Amino acid sequence: MPPELNADLPLLIAAAATVVLAVVLSPAQASRKALLARGGTGLAGIVGVAVAPSLDLAVLVLLALAVLHSRLPGQRDFAQRLQLPVVAVVLIVFALLFSRVQGPVVLQRFAAVGLVAGIAASVGLLPYIHVLEPDDTAVASPIVWIGFTGPVVATTVLLRARDLLTADAGGEMGAMLIGLGLINMLWGTVAAWRTASPIGAWHYSFMADWGLALCGFGLFVADGQAAALLILFSIVFGRLPLYLASRQALRANASADRPINLMVAAALAGSAPFAGFAARVLLLRGATDMYWPLALVLAAGMLLWLPVSLRLGRTLGQPRGRQALGVGIVLAINVVIGLYPLPLLALAGR
Amino acid sequence: MVSVLAGLAAWIGASVIVLADGRRALAAGLATVTVGLAGVAWRDGDGLAAVVILLGGGVAAFLRQRAGPPGWMLMPAGSTPRLILCVAGALVALWFAASITVGPEGAARFAVLCVAGLAAARILSTRAAPTIATALATLVLAMAVATHFAGDSPGMAPYLVAALLAAAVMFLPVPAASAS
Repeated sequence: MPPELNADLPLLIAAAATVVLAVVLSPAQASRKALLARGGTGLAGIVGVAVAPSLDLAVLVLLALAVLHSRLPGQRDFAQRLQLPVVAVVLIVFALLFSRVQGPVVLQRFAAVGLVAGIAASVGLLPYIHVLEPDDTAVASPIVWIGFTGPVVATTVLLRARDLLTADAGGEMGAMLIGLGLINMLWGTVAAWRTASPIGAWHYSFMADWGLALCGFGLFVADGQAAALLILFSIVFGRLPLYLASRQALRANASADRPINLMVAAALAGSAPFAGFAARVLLLRGATDMYWPLALVLAAGMLLWLPVSLRLGRTLGQPRGRQALGVGIVLAINVVIGLYPLPLLALAGR
Repeated sequence: MVSVLAGLAAWIGASVIVLADGRRALAAGLATVTVGLAGVAWRDGDGLAAVVILLGGGVAAFLRQRAGPPGWMLMPAGSTPRLILCVAGALVALWFAASITVGPEGAARFAVLCVAGLAAARILSTRAAPTIATALATLVLAMAVATHFAGDSPGMAPYLVAALLAAAVMFLPVPAASAS
């Protein structure tokens, strides 16, 4: 199995599990058939990105996925929703061109900039934050990019791009990833804390998690890569299903302070024993190995997750029936991965 | 000479797509880009790829000619910024292909950079679905030609996928926004 596909495998399994969970546990009034069709199409798309034999083909599949997603009915029109994915695709295409043609060394650096900017645009991170319409359905909203397709796309592009760049340009890409990661982490946590909109807070919290993942990718050490994978896993099969579970309560403007809400808050904050905790420990270890002041900044930033997570935990309301079962499954899997992440990392070849 | 003509055709076609709103002009622009990109691929030794691009782009241009805003609507009022974009885009692409970078396949570098850049600019600057679909078809064909620069041969897969996508986007029904 190619190493890129190996690395994507845990994320693909997590994405498939999230689709199944969303379909099986969705409220009765929701159309499960439509959800299955759209979730299945999205899943097929990210599988296509992961198994594509070349990065060029993966980007073509990404563009096809963007076109299909943009034509879903929603608050924003086709043209508006297609804009950032097209920016992402063109930036990556230009980066690939710059990395392959013969010319001055600076072209490799431009390629690194293009790749990092392309990933940020495809996921919807600063400085390319996707516009979230509160009334959009979950499948038509940009949360799909930041929580479902983004992890596989970023992993695929970053792992395959390493073969294209020179060592110097690769190091510069790592530095850019860490810088962008820190900015997104701080922006995401502070904005999620301060914004008036609960749905906006969820959106920003995804950005904050992505900040940590980018730092992990940028470290280029085994611990950093493992941390990035665990954080992306906790986004796809943690934050995303919990966000989906909270949508009913968000629409009803309900909140609660029950034990389940505190447990969800702990999982979102990356506390022990959830998957986010193992990821944060690995990330801090990797950062300490490379440059200890970075670990200090990361540790200080991680404290900002606490108030945000308590706020998000409350927005879950009081889950009952299927929803409570779904939340329980997500929390249980995150505890298992947090306590014993080795099988997941081994599956990814780490 | 063939390479230069192919690169020129790709730029002219992409510029027509940027400058026009009517289906006839969009179809003509797409057909011209297709011929240019196929010429570039053929000149670089990918004969089969050139045929696939011609087929995909040709079908897409035919479908565009059948649906969309009627007429040519070439350079409607207020097109000066678009015209400047076409000229400036070509100059930047030419500078990159002929001066910054070295080696053969300069026409391919020019065509890919120019067509992808202009197509992306067109997608970002309009909200008309037929124009976006045409620019998307142009973009995917340029992306397929760009795979030629990969060290290890990517095979026919990117060309086939791009040709299918170029034709498929013309069929795509686009719903209006619920509220905007």
